[in-house]
Amino acid sequence: MTARVIEAAGRKIGIFEAGAGPPLVYLHGFADIHGVTAEPFPFHTALAEARRVIAPAHPGCAETDEYEDLYTVEDAVYHYLEVLDALELDRFDLVGHCMGGWIAAELAVRHPRRVASLTLMGASGLFVPGAPIGDVFMMAQPERGIDYAGLREMLFRSAKEPLAVELFPDGRGAMDDEVRRYQMLRFASFIGFKPPYFYNASLINRLHRADCPALVLWGEDDHMVPRAHGEAYAAGLPGCNGLEIIKGVGHAAHLEAPDEVAGLVRGFLS
Amino acid sequence: MIPAQLFCWHFMAYPHLPADFDEKYASGWVTVPNALWDAEKSRGLYQEYIDQMALADRLGFDGFVLNEHHQNVYGLAPSPNLIAATLTQATSHGKIVVLGNLLPLHLTPMRVAEEYAMLDMMSDGRIIAGFAPGGGPETFNYDVPSASSREKFWEALDLIVRAWTEDGPFIHEGRHFPLRYVNPWPKPLQKPHPPVWVPGSRSPGTLIECAKRGYCYFLSSRSHGSATGRAKDQFTQVLEAHGRKYHPFRMGILLSCYVGEDDRTARAECEEGVWYFLKNCLKGHLRTEGRQLTFGPGVPYIPTKAWRQYLETSKPGRKLLGDAENWDELESSNSIIVGGPDTVFERLKTLIDNSDVGNLLIQFHLGNMGDDITSASMERFATQVAPRLREYSAKVFAERFPHLEEEYAAIGVAQ
Repeated sequence: MTARVIEAAGRKIGIFEAGAGPPLVYLHGFADIHGVTAEPFPFHTALAEARRVIAPAHPGCAETDEYEDLYTVEDAVYHYLEVLDALELDRFDLVGHCMGGWIAAELAVRHPRRVASLTLMGASGLFVPGAPIGDVFMMAQPERGIDYAGLREMLFRSAKEPLAVELFPDGRGAMDDEVRRYQMLRFASFIGFKPPYFYNASLINRLHRADCPALVLWGEDDHMVPRAHGEAYAAGLPGCNGLEIIKGVGHAAHLEAPDEVAGLVRGFLS
Repeated sequence: MIPAQLFCWHFMAYPHLPADFDEKYASGWVTVPNALWDAEKSRGLYQEYIDQMALADRLGFDGFVLNEHHQNVYGLAPSPNLIAATLTQATSHGKIVVLGNLLPLHLTPMRVAEEYAMLDMMSDGRIIAGFAPGGGPETFNYDVPSASSREKFWEALDLIVRAWTEDGPFIHEGRHFPLRYVNPWPKPLQKPHPPVWVPGSRSPGTLIECAKRGYCYFLSSRSHGSATGRAKDQFTQVLEAHGRKYHPFRMGILLSCYVGEDDRTARAECEEGVWYFLKNCLKGHLRTEGRQLTFGPGVPYIPTKAWRQYLETSKPGRKLLGDAENWDELESSNSIIVGGPDTVFERLKTLIDNSDVGNLLIQFHLGNMGDDITSASMERFATQVAPRLREYSAKVFAERFPHLEEEYAAIGVAQ
């Protein structure tokens, strides 16, 4: 298990890496490695038992430099092409959560031959009429200056989940975690805020191009990206056998039910 | 001898909220239900507010200040240029300060360049052109991404000033607002261009960009303790690093005043309006109760480094102006200065002593304050406070800034 910094296109990229075997690229979300902690979660460690897991931090997040030409998800995709080339990863399994899932899907429709398989967990990215993605930015503004229950409720099944409280505590958490959370929101603001809100309306009609095997899984009570988005991904990706619902968890299904989700993903990968 | 410039700032609050607004509603901003807007009760409201600024003109104020806010009860001027247009006709002496047009909310900055040019012609050169990037609420008002709003703002402002000063048509090749034909008709009357004011809250980036260009820095803080003097010191250093010298008219500050006949009657008369302003208008903006939208992780417009600095130097949940629980707490924030003419003069004198700021932007109308007492307070200020304040400030500025007259002549009061 190593954390290292590589260089791609003149920019520093912070990377967490663990395990051996065929490469698996993991793109993170808010409640996730790099989005709030420097350490991997049990889910990532479990994946590393079957794959060489490579999890880069998004531009401006953790140890990765801000990228001054970052305005759209397209820019993020090209950023990751540089990263993948620098890592000499020609073909890999691709897994993404939340915004990371969005970027993964955008990458897969553009370069389907490089993606051995695609796993999306609570992924944003699609425009689904009548099912707007939650306003994570407004929820990130605390009530009474200290109360982050709204943010926890959005990212987990419930604001009271012990893990949610640990990762997004009221008042103020550890300085480095606070800064990572801010960096993730800033990255999200660059590419996810301008209408369309966390989606690219063109993506849905491109999904058929990503014809690799695909797994789409969603927390039963996802309060940020409505389940209808999972259904749309599952319907649009030719290699997907239908949406997998993880019972009793929210948006961060992979953190809330790590064994179940890791088992599903590993089963799919094998 | 150049005295402090005294401006009358009108925020144009919505005054007809129900008495239980604070109990029932989470915010006065962005999500405040517009079913509360009572058009019948609000007939004549804009006229009343415009008349108050016309009164300020007759009373000899140096100018009037308007600003842009959307979807809120704090300020009913989503388009301040409309109000400014009426002031070009309803007033004849004072400067008209729009502080400011929120540039990232516009499809193209050229619309703002054109409207300011119109206003400058319509007012015979009385426009002070304020520009702002928008803060937290504006992110939500018009879905403006926070993270890129500052760079968009400076590109837009530089384009506007170039369009005013350089003959067109020319091509603007910017990242955010590229335009093939930049060629505004009309152009402003003032040469080289109307004074430019930019608000900030001591973030180094804004201070540096203002200093580079020689623009007036408006400190947007509503409380005036030691931080006001520190902001001036900070700006002085930044200006020197960019080959300029600080003087009192390079900066402006915002404060509120109510002048009564004496301290006791002043407080009794204004207290209702003050609390309405603090508890309703500031809810969602400068009050922690509910969800404050002006600053924080959900509106990440400051760079990460500045955010870390903020975390290191602040406590979570610290009280904001609107959290004041009683009159003494409010007084200690030095934000809303209430009293008879002597008290108000003494406190403003101290503020000038401590801050060396020459542009005082003073809010007289607060919350649901009636026209009668607002006008009476402005009149007392103009006749019993302003003359003393002008005399005193002119003397202090002349002592502390021996070259002020030359610099003033060279670049004008406002810039």
